[in-house]
Amino acid sequence: MATQASRMAGRLMLSPAVLLLLLWMIVPLGMTIYFSFLRFNLLMPGTEEFTGFENYHYFFTDPAFWPALVNTLTLVLGVLVITVVGGIALAVLLDQPMWGQGIVRILVIAPFFVMPSVSALVWKNMLMNPVNGLFAALARTLGLQPIDFFATAPLASITAIVAWQWLPFATLILFTALQSLDREQMEAAEMDGAGPVWRFVHLTLPHLMRAMTVVVLIQTIFLLSVFAEILVTTNGGPGTASTTLTFLVYMQSMLQFDVGLGSAGGIVAVLLANIVAIFLMRMIGKNLEA
Amino acid sequence: MAREVSKGRKAAVTLLAWGVALLIFFPILWTFLTSFKTEGEAINSHPSFLFFDWTLENYETVNQRSDYLAHFWNSVVISLGSTVLGLIIAVPAAWSMAFVPGKRTKDLLMWMLSTKMLPAVGVLVPLYLLARDTGLLDTKTGLVIVLTLVNLPIIVWMLYTYFKEIPGEILEAARMDGATLSSEILYVLTPMAVPGIASTLLLNVILAWNESFWTLNLTAANAAPLTAFIASYSSPEGLFYAKLSAASTMAIAPIMILGWFSQKQLVRGLTFGAVK
Repeated sequence: MATQASRMAGRLMLSPAVLLLLLWMIVPLGMTIYFSFLRFNLLMPGTEEFTGFENYHYFFTDPAFWPALVNTLTLVLGVLVITVVGGIALAVLLDQPMWGQGIVRILVIAPFFVMPSVSALVWKNMLMNPVNGLFAALARTLGLQPIDFFATAPLASITAIVAWQWLPFATLILFTALQSLDREQMEAAEMDGAGPVWRFVHLTLPHLMRAMTVVVLIQTIFLLSVFAEILVTTNGGPGTASTTLTFLVYMQSMLQFDVGLGSAGGIVAVLLANIVAIFLMRMIGKNLEA
Repeated sequence: MAREVSKGRKAAVTLLAWGVALLIFFPILWTFLTSFKTEGEAINSHPSFLFFDWTLENYETVNQRSDYLAHFWNSVVISLGSTVLGLIIAVPAAWSMAFVPGKRTKDLLMWMLSTKMLPAVGVLVPLYLLARDTGLLDTKTGLVIVLTLVNLPIIVWMLYTYFKEIPGEILEAARMDGATLSSEILYVLTPMAVPGIASTLLLNVILAWNESFWTLNLTAANAAPLTAFIASYSSPEGLFYAKLSAASTMAIAPIMILGWFSQKQLVRGLTFGAVK
């Protein structure tokens, strides 16, 4: 339908975005791949040399690698479970008739807009601090021993903070999806004597399946690169107890200045994310057809 | 009778929902309240909820430290700058993909999205070195460039899903009436596209404002936005909870208000149109 001229104009309008993204993808990624095969430390300039897969070997045999991989998966899975289950519960609750629903929704969404460094600091100091935190005060009131959260359960504490930030996202998306549920079908099932549990399992859950998949995939992308929350609270410690892959690469390249090693780690992170991305692209690609 | 029951149920639901909502909101509320306490009151082992001597001294202290305003300004420049720059690049691209789609448009869109999947840490080192070597490290310009590119795929996608909904027939009709491409864009498309562009702007400012990987890794003292400024408060001592609270409140308040206006766009934008 479009004329030759408008086709040309279309290409012209498209090209800046495409070229920029192409550069954005190829240049840094190419550099990372290149660095990952070099012995390259910023503290020892001029000693760069090609070392083949040595950096990868060091990265995989780094005593922090396996804990970091396990921590990354634990953090991502933990947050996903909490936010998806909590999000469904909240979405169903928000969907019920109530007074002041608008305000309730505003309160529930709020944590999503808090910048990660703020939420990490607030949780770390004002809530979870074993001496001055509110939880400690609460524990003392109940006659319990206050818990030093970041010393005894660093990863679980970070998981809680990150889950708090992402619960609103899951809730909002699931709630939006819930609103397109066929009410008549729901009422018909109710007339036929289907109980609330049956209706939830057989009507609500299948309807939410797609939104749940989207929530899981998109959150995974963001959760794989959780950074500020760890930097502000535990710095990856104690030991490697809360070091994730992202944080490990950050430490190797920005604190130990080992560019080669950090780059190899970066490539491993890219590969990990790609596995997730393939699934997400399929989902969204399907939607594009519709 | 049935009415009575449903009212009772509504009351119970209301009570439960408000309870849960307040619990989720509590850390923010607590930060807000603490920002009006004295430092001594803020670490009181029997914390008081509302009955304390309200004071504005923390806000004064934080504001007097002129660096707070400087960081705030950095946040404004970086988030608005990267968003506007992104829109300038993305609007023509999204327009062309929505109205002059080719065989490869779909692949192109998917490819753009795939650049977003690249974990930041995978390109941390080269970008740090590039920024250092070009003198863009710890500058607002450097961060604007990086955040523009980071969020460009989201901007293109959001605009695309909005533009897709503008009926193409209107454009055809304008073309039939002899409208040139530029007047077509200016008089026909723009008025219809403004709401979508505004939503995209809103969501992207929020994302850029809170972005906490590049802002923390590519800045030091000069260009640090609020994310980095607040992170520097990471002291283990509970000596300035009240000031931390005041600074936090000021850092998140503007964006939270914007965010509340953007609930709907948020879902659409962050799910790339997969959930509307």
